[in-house]
Amino acid sequence: MTTISRRAFLGTSGVGLGLGLLGGCAPAMKGDFAPKGGPRVVVIGGGWGGATAAKYVRLADPTIEVVLLEPNKEFVSCPLSNLVLSGVRTIDSLTFGYGGLRSHGVRILHEAAAAIEPDARRVRVAEGYLQYDRLIVSPGIEFQTEQIDGLAAAGDQVLHAWKAGPQTVELARRLHAMPDGGVFVLTIPPIAYRCPPGPYERTCQVAWYLKHNKPKSKLIVLDANPNIVSKTGLFRAAWKDYPNIDYRASSKVVKVDPGAREVTTEFGDKVKYDVVNVIPPQRAGTIAVQADLVGADKRWCEVNHVTYESVKHKGIHVIGDSTIGLPVPKSGTVANAMGKISASAVVHMLRGQEPPPMPPINVCYSWVSDREAMAVINSFKIENGKVVQIEQKLTPGQSQAFGQNALGWARSIWNDILG
Amino acid sequence: MTNLRRFLVGSAGFALLLVVVGAAAADPKDPGYVKAFSCSACHGYDGASRSDTVPVLAGMPAWYLKKAIEDYAAGKRPAAEMEPYAKMVLQLGVDDVAGYFARQKRPAPVTTDAAAVERGRAAATQCAVCHGASGKGDQSKGVPDLTGQPAGYLRNQMLLFKSDKRSTGDPNLSALKALMKTIPDEQYADLAAYFSSLR
Repeated sequence: MTTISRRAFLGTSGVGLGLGLLGGCAPAMKGDFAPKGGPRVVVIGGGWGGATAAKYVRLADPTIEVVLLEPNKEFVSCPLSNLVLSGVRTIDSLTFGYGGLRSHGVRILHEAAAAIEPDARRVRVAEGYLQYDRLIVSPGIEFQTEQIDGLAAAGDQVLHAWKAGPQTVELARRLHAMPDGGVFVLTIPPIAYRCPPGPYERTCQVAWYLKHNKPKSKLIVLDANPNIVSKTGLFRAAWKDYPNIDYRASSKVVKVDPGAREVTTEFGDKVKYDVVNVIPPQRAGTIAVQADLVGADKRWCEVNHVTYESVKHKGIHVIGDSTIGLPVPKSGTVANAMGKISASAVVHMLRGQEPPPMPPINVCYSWVSDREAMAVINSFKIENGKVVQIEQKLTPGQSQAFGQNALGWARSIWNDILG
Repeated sequence: MTNLRRFLVGSAGFALLLVVVGAAAADPKDPGYVKAFSCSACHGYDGASRSDTVPVLAGMPAWYLKKAIEDYAAGKRPAAEMEPYAKMVLQLGVDDVAGYFARQKRPAPVTTDAAAVERGRAAATQCAVCHGASGKGDQSKGVPDLTGQPAGYLRNQMLLFKSDKRSTGDPNLSALKALMKTIPDEQYADLAAYFSSLR
């Protein structure tokens, strides 16, 4: 028994896989390629929400099979990735494997979910499908490239760097290669978008880098919103150290022309750049739109505030940045909290039990220099079945101590998601 | 090996796998399990913090975690990052949350600087008067257990006492704060390393 169990464990954990299997033909993903033996939860998306949900279903009930569909082989943290632009951190220091989830017995298939069939309770993968009893969808965001004229055609000439990875590294390279005296233009989309304070933290990091490395350069920030949308006073105070920032509110960018190295605002103002970073408007990840999980706005998914079950399709729970209607930001901490709470709800519902109401939490740290950070903190309660804020607090300014806390938060939550 | 084959190899032994990795340290049936989600992003679902500045809640006596939550919520321990959550935990049920973490297994101490531990051991006699020779504290006097906490957290708390930013004006802590002011700055890290190394 011990020997067989160990072999089974090794098989699932992906460690020490039988060499004999390596030589054969790959089985095709056709039909029901992994028949369900007992209760199964399928999770789509291995980011902050989905990876957490997969782990926490297994923690709550190891008799439930959990299958995580995530095309990427590695997890790259968006939080802290603005520090890659300033050269303070490397992308490698933000990149982690999924081995920890396997050790919890999560079965990971590095494939994309092609479609969801709610009535048949199955997810299509390549030419086959996976059956589920409950589905947790954590698809993140997708860019509404069509909202900015010329953006789709520009391809990699215009970077978003809003999903941490190769674009982050490439944007850092372009910033570092820019001649002293050059102009970096950052454009911010209208709310709602992933990580409300993120563009303003990026502003700090680019400005910090320019101040210390290219003192004749400037950073023009074109914000579609009428003001800084998060931690306004704290960012305004931080920017006093960066006279190289030219912040322009209510300046929605509607066109980009990489040939002319120029963006155009909705009022017709044209702004030249040497390096541009366009953060496009956003909506829920494509699978959520295809599966009709989004609301009338065709952008975001409305959910039950206790179970995270979609208001449109029973048996499908939606978490993370793709949700709307809760008084929470689209943050990593919130996605992590939704992952746990949805996992608990799913386990209770599979047993026919009432899920215990549990509100999410939020903390968003923002790095304003190479070592100083500040934060906004939110706590919530459930009232009449809805998430309601108890309190929002800001740190009293920025400090190196908050920077240490920000690092502590990152280490802890990465471990909570993946460890 | 293809993704699918790796996946199917796992599938074959799935039922047996449950036996092997099924025993989670944290019990989902515990009345504090779900409520502790308000803490787990930073402190870990099992209370075993992975950060040098975030305290370990696993095995922390329930009376002390409850006091800490009440002090944070009341602003006696001013901390922007804790006050909203402390208020949330009070609403959810602090006894359930404190009881849950008290039932978790304390992680083994991580010692990174043996020389600092030894220096701290020599300097710690002044702490033993209240915290005991073992560093385990004394509930009857409201003195907390210092053992096994991350060194960065312990050091930060000592500095908060020294500058009277924690429990300002509490007469029970005036002797502690007076003592803190006599400790040379370089000794805080040694004391923290020592208590952190204790089981």
